[in-house]
Amino acid sequence: MLIRRRLMKPAAVLGLAVVLAACGGTAADTGGGGGDAASGGSDAKAGAVNIGAVLPLTGSSASIGEDQRRGIELAVAKINEDGGVMGKDLNVIVEDSAGAANSAIDAAKKLVTVDKVAAVMGEYSSGVTVPLGQYLQQEGVIHMNVGSSSPEIAGIGDKSFSVIGLDTIASKFASEQLAGRGLMRAAIMVPNNSYGEGIVQPFTDAFKAAGGSVTETVLYTEGQTSYRAELERIAASKPDVVLYSAYGQDSSVINQQAFEGGMQKTPWFGIYLTMCTVDSAPATVQNQIGMDVNYVGPEGQDYQKAYEAKYGEGFASTFSGYTYDATMMLAKAIDDAGSTDADKIAAALKKLGSGYAGATGDITFDDQNQRSEQPYLVLKYTDGKVVEEG
Amino acid sequence: MLDFALYVATIAAVYALFALSLNLQAGVTGLLNFGHVAFFGVGAYSSGIVALHGGHWLLGVLVGVVVSSLLGAVIGRLGRTLAADYWAIVTLAVAECLRLVVVNEGDLTGGPQGISGIAGPFSSVSGLAGSLSWLVLCVVLAALAYLVAETLTGMQFGRVLRLLREEPMLAASLGHNITAEKTRVLAVAAPIAAVGGSVYTLYISYIGPNQLLPIETFLVFTMLIIGGIGNNRGAVFGALVIQLIYAGSRFLKDIFPIPDQSASSVRLLIVGLVLTAFLMTRPEGLFAEKLRRIDVHQ
Repeated sequence: MLIRRRLMKPAAVLGLAVVLAACGGTAADTGGGGGDAASGGSDAKAGAVNIGAVLPLTGSSASIGEDQRRGIELAVAKINEDGGVMGKDLNVIVEDSAGAANSAIDAAKKLVTVDKVAAVMGEYSSGVTVPLGQYLQQEGVIHMNVGSSSPEIAGIGDKSFSVIGLDTIASKFASEQLAGRGLMRAAIMVPNNSYGEGIVQPFTDAFKAAGGSVTETVLYTEGQTSYRAELERIAASKPDVVLYSAYGQDSSVINQQAFEGGMQKTPWFGIYLTMCTVDSAPATVQNQIGMDVNYVGPEGQDYQKAYEAKYGEGFASTFSGYTYDATMMLAKAIDDAGSTDADKIAAALKKLGSGYAGATGDITFDDQNQRSEQPYLVLKYTDGKVVEEG
Repeated sequence: MLDFALYVATIAAVYALFALSLNLQAGVTGLLNFGHVAFFGVGAYSSGIVALHGGHWLLGVLVGVVVSSLLGAVIGRLGRTLAADYWAIVTLAVAECLRLVVVNEGDLTGGPQGISGIAGPFSSVSGLAGSLSWLVLCVVLAALAYLVAETLTGMQFGRVLRLLREEPMLAASLGHNITAEKTRVLAVAAPIAAVGGSVYTLYISYIGPNQLLPIETFLVFTMLIIGGIGNNRGAVFGALVIQLIYAGSRFLKDIFPIPDQSASSVRLLIVGLVLTAFLMTRPEGLFAEKLRRIDVHQ
């Protein structure tokens, strides 16, 4: 009964620990504000209009998921204060996706079949949002994309809407920015995932149309301890500018190693610059330029005040505004339609989505129900913080 | 509610396939396969790729069975000079390599986006009839896999495998070819998981590379430990219990007044507590391996 057997239990217990740890992630990171304990018990409420949300509340994107949840919480409070939906209270049931496609579908199944929600918002990662949206489309339930930007989302179907601009728009904006600065030879460095892949083609097309050329495209594997090989390929192509996007540990390693290699002498342009630089040592990202979503539109001042009052801090991420807008739009659409029937809500949403004044700026849907205009900020990283470039 | 219960039961039956397959390797033969998810992946992607090219879903399942069996045999041969723990590391590496190939061979596998809109056998059957058809299919498959696993472990082959686990040197001295037996059990166990992968993919009509992460393997290990490693019945019930705990804990916040912002963390905490308490009070799992009990009573 020996080695093999003795090895097995600890190994399996270790496995269990890994499962739990991975699920746990930064789940504890919910601090920062006076939570409202009275809002608990979010079962489908009789006599209320129920909608659902699938968010990464645990796992590696948990801090974003929590911020997305805050947007919903604030919207629900405002809607119910103003008389609710169709004369009833609005109730949003938030389920955890743990950042994984299969548990997101578990969660959506529960929302659709048990809670019988009229619509579902979600998620954050493109790799989760696409299957989630497809499941909802198949079930004939309205889907609101509130945090993903892969162009793949546009093809989900007539029940799927996006309140956040997809990377086709972001890429076009980035290419205009670079061309406008006379940086005509760009190298691209983005993660090899659903999100990164969604940037490459639209950017290359738009940049060529603007007269630029792409010297090198690097889709890097996430989670590496060294990106020197990738960076050397970029440097060897002698670009005028490096267009990149990265998050978490990856961004810090990439910036550190590019800095050590003297590559920061070339301008770096970050797509979602806040995300790209927040985890990096300030010296390594000094003078980087980039773009980010403009989360406070002209109509967003009240929202910002409400957020600060409730949570006692400034916006934790750029994503709460989208869930706020999505919730507000859904409530309004259901109210306008006077029904929770998916086709009627979709029709009302289409009508509503032409110049809707949201907290994240004007929202207009194109013929694929995707947000067609997205205001972006042009930013520059200076001395430890990201500032708006004049 | 009924729909959701049917869904949970269907997924549990699919997980029972994974658990039965891993039990043959890890439980019966003592092969710590940390790359078990590779077999799931082969089945899942076979179905996905065949569906993408308009093939019949049965063809996808068949391709998955054949390819996974070959992969299993190769992995079995791979470690013939390695000690058990090093072999475990190699299996983890094989599964990760497979995942990276899937991510990078975009033309074949859909790359990081995965493959979606995969049509399954009951795609045209909607509502309750559809859910029931899926449940029946998956339960029948799980029952078949259970019978296969029981038969295998009951016959001489199973005895050799257990000997391999307990006393590999003795097995070798009795004339058993350790590498050949290892190769054989992997070639038989892999297709069971591949069928699970195929059915899962057809059922939720999506497969992406993030479903091939090592965490999925460890989840199946958890099921074995809870159910009782080395026991086929344990594997089936382990899968059911874990699936019930994960799905059932979603309703915690509906019953108890937990604030929204901590509901998900509380849910994970409860899942962890239940599993830990279970391991502490019943370390041998729900169904202990019978063989070992006989040893103890001697």
